[in-house]
Amino acid sequence: MSSNAGVSAVSITPVVVRLKLSLLRNGLRQSAGRRAAYVTSVVLVLLFAALQLLGLIALRGNAHATAVAVLLVAVLALGWAVMPLFFPSGDETLDPTRLVMLPLRPRPLVRALLAASLVGIGPVFTLCLLIGSVISVAHGAAAYVTAVVAVVVALLVCVALARAVAAANIRLLSSRKGRDLAVLSGLVIAIGAQLVNFGAQRLGSAGGLSKLDPVADVLRWLPPASAIGAVDSVSEGSYGVGIAQLVLAVATLVGLLALWSRHLTRLMTSPDGSTVQAAEPAARERGSSGLGRLLPSGRTGTVMERSLRYVWRDPKTKAAWVTSLAIGLIVPVFNALQGTGSIYFACFAAGMLGIQMYNQFGQDTSAFWIVAMTISSTRDAYVELRGRALALLVITLPYATLVTVLTTAMLGDWPKLPEVLGLSFALLGAMLATGAWSSARFPYSIPQEGYKNVAPGQTGLAWISIFGGMVSAALLAAPVIALTIWGNVTADGDEWTWLLLPLGAGYGALITVLGLRLAAPRTARRLPEILAAVSKG
Amino acid sequence: MTEGAGEAVPAVRVRGLWKRFGEQVAVAGIDLELPAGRFIGLVGPNGAGKTTTLSMVTGLLRPDQGTVEVVGHDVWRDPVQVKARIGVLPEGLRLFERLSGRELLAYTGRLRGLHGAEVDKRATQLLDVLDLAGAQHKLVVDYSTGMRKKIGLACALLHNPEVLFLDEPFEGVDPVSAQTIRGVLERYTGSGATVVFSSHVMELVESLCDWVAVMAAGRIRAHGPLAEVRGGAPSLQQAFLELVGAHGRTAGADLDWLGGGAAR
Repeated sequence: MSSNAGVSAVSITPVVVRLKLSLLRNGLRQSAGRRAAYVTSVVLVLLFAALQLLGLIALRGNAHATAVAVLLVAVLALGWAVMPLFFPSGDETLDPTRLVMLPLRPRPLVRALLAASLVGIGPVFTLCLLIGSVISVAHGAAAYVTAVVAVVVALLVCVALARAVAAANIRLLSSRKGRDLAVLSGLVIAIGAQLVNFGAQRLGSAGGLSKLDPVADVLRWLPPASAIGAVDSVSEGSYGVGIAQLVLAVATLVGLLALWSRHLTRLMTSPDGSTVQAAEPAARERGSSGLGRLLPSGRTGTVMERSLRYVWRDPKTKAAWVTSLAIGLIVPVFNALQGTGSIYFACFAAGMLGIQMYNQFGQDTSAFWIVAMTISSTRDAYVELRGRALALLVITLPYATLVTVLTTAMLGDWPKLPEVLGLSFALLGAMLATGAWSSARFPYSIPQEGYKNVAPGQTGLAWISIFGGMVSAALLAAPVIALTIWGNVTADGDEWTWLLLPLGAGYGALITVLGLRLAAPRTARRLPEILAAVSKG
Repeated sequence: MTEGAGEAVPAVRVRGLWKRFGEQVAVAGIDLELPAGRFIGLVGPNGAGKTTTLSMVTGLLRPDQGTVEVVGHDVWRDPVQVKARIGVLPEGLRLFERLSGRELLAYTGRLRGLHGAEVDKRATQLLDVLDLAGAQHKLVVDYSTGMRKKIGLACALLHNPEVLFLDEPFEGVDPVSAQTIRGVLERYTGSGATVVFSSHVMELVESLCDWVAVMAAGRIRAHGPLAEVRGGAPSLQQAFLELVGAHGRTAGADLDWLGGGAAR
């Protein structure tokens, strides 16, 4: 296609593929640990791929084989689409701006980069899965031929999808915001694992695979899963449908390549991200936010406003919050959905969110000095801690209530609502109290770069802080727990369990205040020590 | 201690200050009195203990031994009086970088107990004077080094402190920003306030300060009015090199091959 005379008749594809291999090799050469990690991950991935392959082959002939295969491929494609956003540094050839000084035409470049993308564990894994998928659905010679085409097309669509997404977002990915996004990647995996786990459990139980069929009916028309759908259609003799599905997949591939090529051209002919960002004028307009006006005046409101802003703006804090919010919702609601859940799982929301009170000053990093400079009495420290606890409550109280009501509604156990709410509030109070105290007693640094949440050498401190605190919180909430058990065990206890709502709420509020009162003098006395402990990140 | 006339109370009085980090002695017994109303430079090579000293003086680091008084009040026993009277720009510590410049000022001012309207007024003026008005709604995390120093300075000045402690305020700052910072500081000391700043750039200290203290290896080697410390030396740089005992180390004969003209 590149018929332009002169320059070089040599294709750049092998060069780029070799570049990719060299990068891979050199990356591994850097350290033994990295090599070990890579080998381990390769082995694990291959093992997993082999198991998938076996499982899919075993599915051959099963009525729901198509549904499973189509769904797997769709999930796989989703993974490819999301991957570059969360692991932007994974592949250097993925960043075309590095090639910007070379005289390359977009078409050969796209071809070369596409070929390079096929090198790696990811594509191998994908290939195994795709092969397994077509084996599980293909029956007959025509279907086998279609299967070969389908595997190639689906693999290329996956890879092109990743590249197109990366190219479209490269400006974001190479900026501070992109790095912020990367911090959230662990979270996506955690929540994704929860969802997969839940999905697998659901499939394992009762109705099983037949529940997948309606979803698969839609997905079999969605590329690249449509390629697998095509194999299935051809197997069943519906050649027209099969061809349509295959054409859809091929058209998607062409579309993605065109999109990628266009972004690539634009990227390589315009100034890079850093220049553009520096020249950008301040976009937001001035004026204090509405948030500030709703909060109380004085130090309390100031502290609350800053804490709430950080929940949204600081990637580490945001990741911690989103994890807590998600797990606090997923555990009780999914357990209720499965029918196996207890209503008391709703306390999970309060417990998970209460964790955010721990290591308050560590969340400030060394910027804690600003806070330290303005705390000159126990009173100041108390107001500071109370402000942080209140900011937490602004989100936690409604959220815990909502999760509890939702869980109750799903289980239909309305008479239990008051006592579970009461228990939640008591637990939340206990977490806030112990969180405030351990923030003052066991502060530790949270590194701002990378995925670690504890600075080297402070792991023990973090464990003491969080797990010691959680055990203490459970002990502190014990009176309310005991009352709940008593109310449920005693014969006429059920008539009185509603009392646990005001009791639990009152108890929670009381121990929160006590915890803050206890933490305040310690904070005020230990400011330099806290600053030193949180400045190691 | 406060019974004397206001003039007599030194801005900072340090007695027998020590700090060790494990084996290493960072500050080895400092006695120092810094007069009020002056532009004071704390100079010394890297690792002399300047940052450690300033951290202890401002209450951010607990000394192993010794006392510190700021305007007559003990830093550790009377933090209420001291913290209201000082402004600090530390080196190597972060700011709340996920706030915009203006939000950071609003936050700091309100934590200091100033009224909202007053904070906003002062913030606007400081942002204007320090050339940060255009970037006031940008997050501090996206600021350059110079802009960070300037917003840090604005935070330190917001509550109009009596004594201002600045650790390496000109480090990594471009000439334009440096000139802006200088202008603000000169106006501030002109009104009777005290600035104590650390630096290892002698020319800067010489041109800005009227009083200097020279530190090396955790001790004060000399202190007093600039002219006194400089003594007979042609410049503070020369006086300093003699004080810290680095005068013999002129890179000379060893590198005789280095230079233009010769063939190789």
